[in-house]
Amino acid sequence: MNNLGELTIWLGLIAIGISSGCYWVLNSREDDTLAQNVARYSFTGFVALITLASIFLMLAILKHEFIYSYVANYSSRDLPLQYLISSFWAGQEGSFLFWVLMGAWLGIFLMHMAGEMEPQVMFIYNLNNLFLTILLIKQSPFKMLATTPADGQGLNMLLQDPWMVIHPPVVFLGYAAFTIPFAYAIAALWRREYDNWIRPTLPWTVFAFLSLGAGIIIGGFWSYKVLGWGGYWGWDPVENASLLPWLAGAALMHGMILQQSRRKLRKTNFILAAVSFLLIIYCTFLTRSGILADFSVHSFQDLGITGWLVFFMFGFLAITLWFFVTRVRDIPVADKGAAFSYFSREFGLMAAMIILCLSALLTGVGTSAPLITRLAEKASKVSTQFYVDTNLPLALLMVLLLSFVPLLAWGKNDFAKLSRKLIWALLGAVLSGTITLYHGYPGLVLLLLAIFAGAAVGVNLHLAITLIRKKFTMSAGAIAHLGVGLMFVGIIASSVYDRSEKVLLPQGQMEPALGYEMKFSGPKFIREPKGVRLDLPLDVKKGNTQFVAQPDIRSENRRDGQGMRFTRPHIRRGLVSDLYISPVDFQPGKEESRSVSRKQFELKKQQKIQFEDYEITFVGFDISGMMAKKEGQGVSVGADIVVSYKGEDPLTLKPVLTMGKEGNTSSRVKLPGPAEAYLSLTRIEASSGSIVLDYQGPASGQDQIVEKSPPAFIAEVSIKPGMTVLWLGTFLILFGGGIGVARRWPK
Amino acid sequence: MKKSYVIGGLVIILALAMAMYSFKSTLTSYVTVSEAKASNRPVQVAGVVVTGTDRYDLKNNNLLFTLREDGGDEMKVEYDGPRPGNFDNVTKVVAIGKYQPEKQTFLASELLVKCPTKYEGRVKGE
Repeated sequence: MNNLGELTIWLGLIAIGISSGCYWVLNSREDDTLAQNVARYSFTGFVALITLASIFLMLAILKHEFIYSYVANYSSRDLPLQYLISSFWAGQEGSFLFWVLMGAWLGIFLMHMAGEMEPQVMFIYNLNNLFLTILLIKQSPFKMLATTPADGQGLNMLLQDPWMVIHPPVVFLGYAAFTIPFAYAIAALWRREYDNWIRPTLPWTVFAFLSLGAGIIIGGFWSYKVLGWGGYWGWDPVENASLLPWLAGAALMHGMILQQSRRKLRKTNFILAAVSFLLIIYCTFLTRSGILADFSVHSFQDLGITGWLVFFMFGFLAITLWFFVTRVRDIPVADKGAAFSYFSREFGLMAAMIILCLSALLTGVGTSAPLITRLAEKASKVSTQFYVDTNLPLALLMVLLLSFVPLLAWGKNDFAKLSRKLIWALLGAVLSGTITLYHGYPGLVLLLLAIFAGAAVGVNLHLAITLIRKKFTMSAGAIAHLGVGLMFVGIIASSVYDRSEKVLLPQGQMEPALGYEMKFSGPKFIREPKGVRLDLPLDVKKGNTQFVAQPDIRSENRRDGQGMRFTRPHIRRGLVSDLYISPVDFQPGKEESRSVSRKQFELKKQQKIQFEDYEITFVGFDISGMMAKKEGQGVSVGADIVVSYKGEDPLTLKPVLTMGKEGNTSSRVKLPGPAEAYLSLTRIEASSGSIVLDYQGPASGQDQIVEKSPPAFIAEVSIKPGMTVLWLGTFLILFGGGIGVARRWPK
Repeated sequence: MKKSYVIGGLVIILALAMAMYSFKSTLTSYVTVSEAKASNRPVQVAGVVVTGTDRYDLKNNNLLFTLREDGGDEMKVEYDGPRPGNFDNVTKVVAIGKYQPEKQTFLASELLVKCPTKYEGRVKGE
C-alpha cells in the first residue's frame, strides 16, 4: 500500500518551501510579478495539499483503516460519527495536522489582506508553517503498522463528550491565529514601518484572543461537567499552556489599542506580539516533550520532536531579537509633548497590561518550575497554592482597574465629571459586598475582590447598556469587561462558598444531604459495546422541587486487559447555585449468613486471658522468621502462645504473620480440644509490644450472624454557588471579543 | 514621570519578592518512598496503586490505598479530598503531602492522577 497521506505532506513541505523562497525574493524585488504569482500559487498549493492530507486522515478514520497506527490508536468501529471525527485531533500527530490545517486556511485570508506587507508577513508566516510541517513529518499521523488489527483502541471515554469534539479545534485555531500578529510585527520591523501594522493586525489579535479564549473556556466547562472533581480550573500545566499566550495576547490587544489611538507603546507591542507567539511554541514544548509528564531525569531523553521544538523556539527568538535590536533606535518614542496623567485611560490600559503580563510571567514561572528547579537540584513542582497566591492580588488590581478605567477618556480627566458615573461602581460594590458578608466573611483580600468585582460589574453593565443604545459595535469592550467582572464574582462564589458532603445512599432509603432529601432507587446495569454503564438514579427532593438525578459509573474493558472506570456527575444547574452530585463508589448488596463466631483479643506480653474453655497466654515473639528473609517472600513474625483447654496440659502454639508485598497473610493454628476452633495472628502493635489474635470457632446459638446490606452508593454532593454567573461571564468575554472582531474587520 | 518609574519598579519588585517566597514555600520536590518517610517537608511521590488496596473509608471520609513506586517500595497513602473521577483507570498517581510517622501513612493533600488522555501520556509509552 502506498502512503498517499505522507506523500501529500511531503509535497506540502516542498510547496511551502517554494512559497517562502519566492516571498524572500519579493522582499527585495517588489514588482517581480512572476515571483509573486509563484509565491501565491505555491502557498495555495500548500493549503490544498494539507487539506488533502486532512481528508485522507479523516477518510482513514471513517473507513476504519486500522493499518494506520494513528487510526488504530484513537478510534474504533463502534464509535459514533461525531467521536470518529474528533479522533482526528485526539492524539499528538492528528492535532499537529489540524494545527497546520488551521494555519493554512487562515493564511489564505492573510495573504489577500496583507496588502503591501504581503512579502514580509507571508515569509514569516510561512516559516511557522514550514516548522509545523517538519514536525508533522517527524510525527506523521500516517505511520503504518506491520499488520492490520481487527479493531482500534477506541477513543478515551472521557473525551467522548460533545464539548471535547470542539475544544481542540478551537484551541488550535487560536494557536494558529497567534502567528498572525507575530508575522505582522516582524514584517513591520523588517519594513521599518512602526505604526501602520497595527490597523490590519488588531482584528487578528482580537480573533486570536477570542478563539484561544473560547478553547480555554470550553476546556474548563468540560472539566466541570465530565471529570466529576467539581472544579473547572486546576492550574495543570496543560491548562496553563494555553493560558500563558492568552494572557500575553490580552496585553497585546490592549497595547495595540493604545498605540492605534495614542501612538504609544510601539516597542512594547512588538515585544508582546513576539512573546505571545513564542509562548505558544514554548508551551507546546512544555506539554509535548514529555518534560512535565513526570519530571523524572529521563524525560530529556526523548528527543523525537523536543529537539525540533527547542530549535524552532530559539530560531524564532533569534529572528525577533535580530530585527528588534537592529531597529530599536529607529522606533519613534511616544510624543513627549502630551501631558501624562495618572488618571487617564492611557495609564489604566498600561496598568492592565502590566498586570496581565505579570500574571503570565508568574504563572509561567510556576508552570516551568520543574524545568527551573532541575538546574539547581531535584525537579520540583509548585502546588496550586502558588498560582492562587500570585494571581489573587493581580486579580484584585485587575477588577479595581475595571471598576473605573473604562469610564476614563484619553488624556486628562476631571474627577468631578466622573463621580456621577461612579455611582454604578458604588452600587455594584455595596451590593456585592453585602451579599458576600451575608454569607460569611471570606478574608480581607477575597472580600475586596468581591467588592471590586461587583463595582466592575456595575460600571461595565451600565456602560454596556449605554453603548449598545448608542451604537452596538462600540460596546465590545464594555461587554467583555462586564464578563470579566462576572467571571470573578462567579469564581469567588464557587470557590469560597461551595459546600460539599459525602453521603452513603443505601437503596430505598431517604437520606438528607445539604438540605436535600435523596433516595437511591437502585442500580441499573446497561450493557454498552465495550463495557457496562451503571446508572445510579436518585430521587432528589427539596420543598416542592423534585427531580431524578442520573449520575453514572462506566466501566470499559480495554483490549490490553485493563479495566477502566469513569464516573460522571449529575449537575442540576440553577441561576444562583448548582447542585453537583458525583458518584464516589458503588457497593453491591450483600447477604451472607455465617455460623462462625469470631472474636479478637489484644494481648500484651505475659498477659493471660480466659475465653470460653481456653486459657491463653502470650509468651513472646519468635523473630527467627525475620532472619530467613528471602527474595520476594517478605518478613514473618511468629508469636508463642500457650493454651490450655479445660485445665489440661498447656500446649505451645505458634501462629505466624507474614508481611509481604501483596499484603499480610497469617497462618491459622488449631486450638486443642474437640471443637473446630482456630487462632490466627492478625496484627502486631510494635509500639506497645502487643499482638492481636483472631479467634474463629463454632457459633454458640445466638452468635449466628446474618449480614444483609442493600446496594448502596456513596456520592459527593456539593452546592456550588455562582457557576451560572461564572459561565455567563466567560460567555460575555467571548461575545465582547466577537463584537470586537466584527467591528475592526476590514470591510 | 521619573519618580513614578521608581515607585512602579518598587511595587513590581515587592510583588516579585512575594511571588518568590510563595514559589519557594509551595515547591514540592519529587522524592522516593524512603526519602518521603524521612522528610518533614511536603513532598511528592509517584507510583502505582497496588491493585485491590484502594478502598473508601466512609467513616473518616477518605481514600486509602497503597502506593508502590518503581523500585518496589510501598507506603500507605491516605487522601481526604474528593476521590478523583478517573482514579480507577490511572496508570500512575502522584501523591503530594507529608509522611506521618506515627500513623505510618502518607497524608496526601493533593493527588494527581496521570490524565488518561493518551494525548499526553503516550509519548512516554512508545
